[in-house]
Amino acid sequence: MSVVVEEDRIILSGAATVEDAEPLLAALLEHPHHRIDIAGLARAHLAVVQLVLAAGRPVIGRPESPFLREIAFASPMRIKV
Amino acid sequence: MDELLQQFLLEGRDLVADAHAALVALGRDARDRPALDRLFRATHTLKGSVALFDMAPAERLLHVAEARLEGARKGDGALDEAMLDLLMQAIDQTDRWIDAMEGAASLDADATGLSDRLIALIAGDGETGEADLPLPVSPPVAADQDWIAALRSRAELAMVDPGRARTAFRYTPDPDCFFRGEDPLSMVENVPQLLGIAILPAGDAWPDLAACEPFRCMAAIEGLSAADEAQVRAAFRLAPDQIAVAPFNPSPAASDSAPYATELAATLRVEAVRLDRLADQSGELAVAIRALQPIAARLRVIDPLLAAELRAAEDEIARVAGRLQRSVAQVRLVSLEPVLRRLPRLAREAAAMVDKAIRFTIEGETAQVDKQLADQLFEPLLHLVRNAVDHGLEPAGQRVASGKPAEGRIGLAVRQDGGHISIVLTDDGRGIDPQAMRAAAVAKGLMSGEAAAALSDAEALHIVFLPGFSTAESATMLSGRGVGMDAVRAAVERLAGTITIQSDVGRGTRITLRLPANAITTPLLVVAAGDRQLGVRLDQIVETARIDASAVQPVGQAHACILRDRTVPVLDLAALLGLEPTSGALARLVVTDAGPCRTALRVAAFGERFDAVVRESTGLLAAMPAVAGTAMMSDGSVLLVLDLPELVA
Repeated sequence: MSVVVEEDRIILSGAATVEDAEPLLAALLEHPHHRIDIAGLARAHLAVVQLVLAAGRPVIGRPESPFLREIAFASPMRIKV
Repeated sequence: MDELLQQFLLEGRDLVADAHAALVALGRDARDRPALDRLFRATHTLKGSVALFDMAPAERLLHVAEARLEGARKGDGALDEAMLDLLMQAIDQTDRWIDAMEGAASLDADATGLSDRLIALIAGDGETGEADLPLPVSPPVAADQDWIAALRSRAELAMVDPGRARTAFRYTPDPDCFFRGEDPLSMVENVPQLLGIAILPAGDAWPDLAACEPFRCMAAIEGLSAADEAQVRAAFRLAPDQIAVAPFNPSPAASDSAPYATELAATLRVEAVRLDRLADQSGELAVAIRALQPIAARLRVIDPLLAAELRAAEDEIARVAGRLQRSVAQVRLVSLEPVLRRLPRLAREAAAMVDKAIRFTIEGETAQVDKQLADQLFEPLLHLVRNAVDHGLEPAGQRVASGKPAEGRIGLAVRQDGGHISIVLTDDGRGIDPQAMRAAAVAKGLMSGEAAAALSDAEALHIVFLPGFSTAESATMLSGRGVGMDAVRAAVERLAGTITIQSDVGRGTRITLRLPANAITTPLLVVAAGDRQLGVRLDQIVETARIDASAVQPVGQAHACILRDRTVPVLDLAALLGLEPTSGALARLVVTDAGPCRTALRVAAFGERFDAVVRESTGLLAAMPAVAGTAMMSDGSVLLVLDLPELVA
């Protein structure tokens, strides 16, 4: 996976593994007001998902995976930006 | 009191009520499977609850009852009437022990003996068979219920259709599982027919990001699946120690079309006194708003347009306040079930004391009434039930001789009609003989022979409500010599209700209580006596009349007038209160039936009508005989509300 920081958002894409948790945490700490864009996320390890939830930030983008879109991130995605 | 014990007293009694309801259903149909399951669950959970306290005899008894029920669920040994009766005794006994825990915080010394005796009977064949009975195999329901209850209220699962969900799970991965290369989320993804999940902090809340360790699992996952329990369990076979799985039933009241979230919103226990305060305050708000009216009236002279605006705003506020008041009234509605469910047990105990057997049935106990009403109904109902057991029902021998079943029947039926509820208590006992009532009333000097003879049969039955009246030839421990029927009537009238008796000599008696289901605000009429303003409850007023003062004629020491072709005694309210009697050419009368006969009260003036929260008098006011309570006027002053029945008695 990659963790890319843009002007107003942190973009997660590809298959997020347990190793991605560390750079994600660093990005979240460094950019406390960035939203999290998961549109390009294909898979996600719980280590990554729990950080997204713990951050409590708006989550934007609709991932293609039904499991991510409708099950794992169903709740944070409902938080309107 | 210890919070845990307090919680137990509430929940324990709920469970007892639940078990009773299931037992009653099984009494009607022994093959009622949902009732059997409900009884099993209630018994099981009760057992778990009593285990938290020093109640070992209760725990053992419930364990044996539970094992017997588990047997019945598996199909070996249906529950016959005798067994249902024993189970009822076990639940009744548990209820008594819960009472004992509330009172003395411990069980009586005879608890072990009582428990052993019932255990022997339930286990059968006089053995203590406790050890022989298989332990129930179900999972620990009590522990399960905590997380399932929490799961039901998860916002994350609010979109799941409760009709499809069959199994619930809670997965709490080991915090170190990431190091072992596990991904709990992919395990969850493999749950068949997954409907939804909630990824939650394993602790109380997510830690601050700065405190997060990226490779430590700090989440727990709850979810719902349409697959059955075994399939869900299979998906977690690699983490059996980290998973709880349980069948998921949508709440029984859930309708398919209603949104899940509202159906699952867990109930909330709120201290009753806080609700009372809310009700009082919402009532006071309605009254406070009325202070705007005179201001608007004065403003009209200065600025009619502004006055109209103020009136419009006042109307809007009054409308919203009215809605608020209705909502509060709704919140205060509670089921009568917890009150009524205690009666059968107490009736059986009462019957046992006088060596009678009874069959007690309840119908419509789920009717909803204002909390205040539910709280205050128990005592009078218990008294009526005890009276029926003691005075109404004949001894078994006498019953059989007159062709009745040896077991006396007592029925309690609750019906809701609009804003009222009626509670009808029937027994198939000896009934009340109106002629005997008349004779007894005269013999006791309660009324003259002519007055008694003038009563219709129906009226004669109501003699029983006269203070100090009794028809029983001997006093008993149970209900005394009829003492308290007058108190029962007073209690019902305090709740703005009525009580009537019908009876068929030799066949039984029927007592009907009719009460308003909501009784927060009371419509009042303000009247003046001397220089004082006083409140009178509108429901106690038959009519108000203005007549020529000369039409009030002295009759001996008293006064009377003719109203609608009837001679009505006239009392002067000011004089009754020790003030200067009312004078003037016009007599303003408040006519009431609150006393023993129709009476007119002469007042100096009629004031406004309004709805107010009437508070029962406390402190010094409680000692004043003619005052029922107080209400707040729109200007913030306190209005004394008269107790008309007492005033004109």
